[in-house]
Amino acid sequence: MSVMSVPLPRSARALWLEVKRNAVPYVLPLLAAVFYFDTLRTADGFPPVWTLRASVIPNHMLIEFSAFAGGLAAWAGSREGRRKTLDLVATMPRAAWARLGAALAGALCWLLLAFLAGVAVLYVQTALQATWGGPPLWPVLAGAAGVTVVTVIGFTCGVFFPGRFTAPLVAIGVLVPLQVGFREAVNVNVTASSGTTYALLSPISVPPPVETGVYYHVPPDVPIVQVMFMVGIAVALFGVLSLAPGLRQLASAGGRPLRVAAVTLVACGVAASWTAFALAGTARPDAVGGWQIPALHSAASDQPVPVTPDCTSGSAFQVCVHPAFSFYLDDVAAALDPVAAEIAGLPGAPAGAREVASMSGGQSVWSGISGNPPVFDFAAEHVGTTVGMFDGINSTMYIDSGIIPDAAAWREGFQQGLLDSFLIGPSQHSGFVPLDAAQQAVEDALLIAAGSQPQNPISQMGEKAFPETVAAVSAAARRFAALPASARHAWLAAHLAALRAGAITLAQLP
Amino acid sequence: MNVDIRDTRRSFGKNKAVAGVDLQLGTGVFGLLGPNGAGKTSLLRMLATVLPPTSGEIWLLDRDPRRPAARREIRRRLGYLPQNLGYYPSFTVVEFVEYFALLKEMPSSAVPKAVAEAVERVDLGAKAKARLRTLSGGMLRRVGIAQAIVNDPHLLLLDEPTAGLDPEQRVQFRALLRVLGESATVIVSTHLVEDVGAACSEVALMFAGRIVFRGTPEELTARGGGHGVGDTPLERGYSAVLSAARS
Repeated sequence: MSVMSVPLPRSARALWLEVKRNAVPYVLPLLAAVFYFDTLRTADGFPPVWTLRASVIPNHMLIEFSAFAGGLAAWAGSREGRRKTLDLVATMPRAAWARLGAALAGALCWLLLAFLAGVAVLYVQTALQATWGGPPLWPVLAGAAGVTVVTVIGFTCGVFFPGRFTAPLVAIGVLVPLQVGFREAVNVNVTASSGTTYALLSPISVPPPVETGVYYHVPPDVPIVQVMFMVGIAVALFGVLSLAPGLRQLASAGGRPLRVAAVTLVACGVAASWTAFALAGTARPDAVGGWQIPALHSAASDQPVPVTPDCTSGSAFQVCVHPAFSFYLDDVAAALDPVAAEIAGLPGAPAGAREVASMSGGQSVWSGISGNPPVFDFAAEHVGTTVGMFDGINSTMYIDSGIIPDAAAWREGFQQGLLDSFLIGPSQHSGFVPLDAAQQAVEDALLIAAGSQPQNPISQMGEKAFPETVAAVSAAARRFAALPASARHAWLAAHLAALRAGAITLAQLP
Repeated sequence: MNVDIRDTRRSFGKNKAVAGVDLQLGTGVFGLLGPNGAGKTSLLRMLATVLPPTSGEIWLLDRDPRRPAARREIRRRLGYLPQNLGYYPSFTVVEFVEYFALLKEMPSSAVPKAVAEAVERVDLGAKAKARLRTLSGGMLRRVGIAQAIVNDPHLLLLDEPTAGLDPEQRVQFRALLRVLGESATVIVSTHLVEDVGAACSEVALMFAGRIVFRGTPEELTARGGGHGVGDTPLERGYSAVLSAARS
């Protein structure tokens, strides 16, 4: 016999019973396995950047938890119908609302606890690897709101449609709007066009750019409307729950004050969701690649985050990266140093390299050489003519698009980026500019001299890359690379201006 | 009067489940007999405030259950064992009874003691921590009785309470009914006329939604003098009254 030394209030004791005898714990091992194999492993494949890692919370965790949460909540909600206790509980003085609320809270406690435990594991893992920043809270809030609303939806379905098949049907059913939201989000990211309201209200999206939240804060505008929208639905459904017994059995309605409170809850929930929907409709792209909602936007979040870059030392060619990307500083330096050494001392040759934001003033920023002394600027998202060459992203995001992760390609992306900028000329930040045949041959030769294997030049040369031209470029590159370093350097010193101007032919290369 | 109902009727579509019942009851154990479909369960559900009457008046514990505040007060003092008791398999005996004690809005401090007493009264002390899924049908019935009496009700409604109980348990249960009937109105709906004979101070027999007999068990027995069929005098009385009602 359980004897309580200090009696809990009735509601607390009823909640404790519901928590103690809830079905969720039985499913936790399965949920943990799904979390490990999907969410955690996906996050592990991303670079240890907080915002990027946190994106798996809505994009993976929420989907997994929603299916379980919806089904388990429906199971809990259908209990009185399935177990045929409706007649008995209808004779109880305690309002049906309070009774169902305790059962709902019991399931929700477990699900939120499991969700937060998953977030904790994810964030501890990220904290051990990240070199800058801290855990973002908005994805957690949006995810928790998502779990809550799905739980309330599932529970309400269980109350109104009690049966053995309600739980599995709800578990499957809740995935539909989530997938619709995901598809909408994909379209939005591709086209940034109208019709984005639902995509913005759904927390599920494609992974954000790798530098999201690094150079600029992620404005909380969109998460705010997402949380408002979902909490509004949850509150409205909770109000509907209190009306359920009144609709089902007149005698068990909780009286006029309770019905008034229920109607008020429904009205407030609908108002909150409608407001969120309306606000999402006013969203527009901001200057740094995100979304802003004018009514909620704070200008402070548009300001760059002040940081001190991490730089290499002890080398003539200094490489600096944002501290969030310190984990690959040595790799970038190792990639750029040999190429920088090949062109050191030549006019316009960069004295160092630094990482910059890939968007500024609503425009993409591409790699280029600028300043005095010249510095090679590169963005994590746009290095050379390739995009987003991060190992982590390569191994997860881009496999689907056909780009195979390749450490050599990643390294050459940086090298090509530097050489493209150098050969085309200083202050070139306008994105992809095709090289002519001689420029391509020189670039390939310098890559060979730096120990890299030039990639197919087609992407570099654009429409100029006829097969016979490619073969001639390769031959000229091998010829030029075979020269002693001093000879290459001397020739470049003498002919660099002409080479940049496009006045050198392949035949003129030594 | 703990129960005062006048010309109460309840219809389900064209089917008149309760077709005008008058009943005034004080404390004591009241037996409700009748064949299947006589309207016993519908009458009990109306008394349990689950089912509103189609017409007529019902007053319970000197309150009008149509008023929400009064209905809530009635329910705090009500014990109800439905004919088909549902249960939550993962709950233990104590947790199940405690759950309903909480739903009956008993003071928190009184709940543990009341639950322990109720469980002991139905002789389930040894199974107090057993999950309901592990109990037999008879034990589950006793759990149902425990939840019905946990709040020491002033009005106790029991629909087929002894179904599934073994003979020894039935004897104990009848003794419990007699004790409860000293301070409360206990209405027992049953098919088992021997329960009525052993535990009830008054009995009513329903047929086709109406009460066709009301009196003591002895008076019902007397109706059977040489006319009815059955193994016991009370069964013969029951049979004779029903035959007369049918004719």
